[in-house]
Amino acid sequence: MEKEVQNKIFEEILSEHRGVFFKIAKTYCKDETDRQDLLQEMMINVWQALPRYKSDFKLSTWLYRICLNVAISSYRKNAAVPLHIPIEDDDNQTIVEHQEGDKQQHLQMLEKFIDELKDLDKALMLLYLEDKSHSEIAEILGISPSNVSTKVLRIKEKLKQRFSKLDK
Amino acid sequence: MEDNELKVLWASYNEKVDKSLQISQKLLDNSSDLRVKTLLNSMKPTKIALVIVGLVWVFFIDSLVIDTFGEASLFFTISAGLQSVISKIAIGVYIYQLVLINQIDLTQPLVSTQEKLSTLKATSLGIARVLFLQLPLWSTFYLHDALFVRENLLWLGFQLTITADLTWLAVWLFFNIKYENRHKKWFKWLFDGKDWTPVIQSMEVLAELKEFKKN
Repeated sequence: MEKEVQNKIFEEILSEHRGVFFKIAKTYCKDETDRQDLLQEMMINVWQALPRYKSDFKLSTWLYRICLNVAISSYRKNAAVPLHIPIEDDDNQTIVEHQEGDKQQHLQMLEKFIDELKDLDKALMLLYLEDKSHSEIAEILGISPSNVSTKVLRIKEKLKQRFSKLDK
Repeated sequence: MEDNELKVLWASYNEKVDKSLQISQKLLDNSSDLRVKTLLNSMKPTKIALVIVGLVWVFFIDSLVIDTFGEASLFFTISAGLQSVISKIAIGVYIYQLVLINQIDLTQPLVSTQEKLSTLKATSLGIARVLFLQLPLWSTFYLHDALFVRENLLWLGFQLTITADLTWLAVWLFFNIKYENRHKKWFKWLFDGKDWTPVIQSMEVLAELKEFKKN
């Protein structure tokens, strides 16, 4: 693949799927500086893998695999960083102010819940919330679709328990 | 809370992400200047350097053993020979790590890729275990027959204690440096620091992966 073509496709991926990069970075990395590094590392890896991309593969599956693989490895590298940033963060403050009390509490709970999950469960939950089908999640993670269903059910059950405690 | 409500809630979380998208726009604009430094790229040069240094060391030791064979004391020949064997095992593991680095493809599914990555890091602890076996050899290579005389009894007693202690320590470390002991004080003391933290964490991930693959 010529460099010019590679750059062009890369720019297209960034403009169409940039949300994937940022959602994963935000889920796995709470520190702003580390997050920028993680974003860069994900982008580099996508760029480097581009010549090997086969169109018979769904682009989003391919992209999620790279970004999650990088995020999980880098996250481990920066594990000393606190897992959860309080909602009062500067970055979040403006939005939080506009949210209703209950919703804000639920959102805070969801964020905290995801933060506390193990790396791979976190990826599973992220893909589930992104409305990916069980078979696509299975393809990204490398486990069977039935295993995905079981795990999603288990995690959702835990989450429901959390929410029910909050609602009481 | 139902599935739909959960996904609606997640969508509102995405609003926060959108906010940070604007902040990070600069990063996208500069995408052509991305620094080519990835996790795997950064690992390779160190491993290659260690293999080269190891090979030079082993070549030096082997030459010494061959050149002095029959002339040097048996203690020296055996100590240096064993030292060379242990170093060769360590070099073998470093080469295995390099093969793993080349095999890792981040476009592959998470479970298999993370398994390779974690194995890659965890084998560094295996290298440490093997290298500790060299400890007693540093207390025997200088011995020779002329030292084993009655006049040296006190010194020989001291020498025996040191060699025995180092042998015990080396064997004990070989069998006890393992994931299960990661919370023990001596383990933390021995493997403290930023170089070892990812190694220990990768072992945790390997255990996690085993669990994750189960239905």
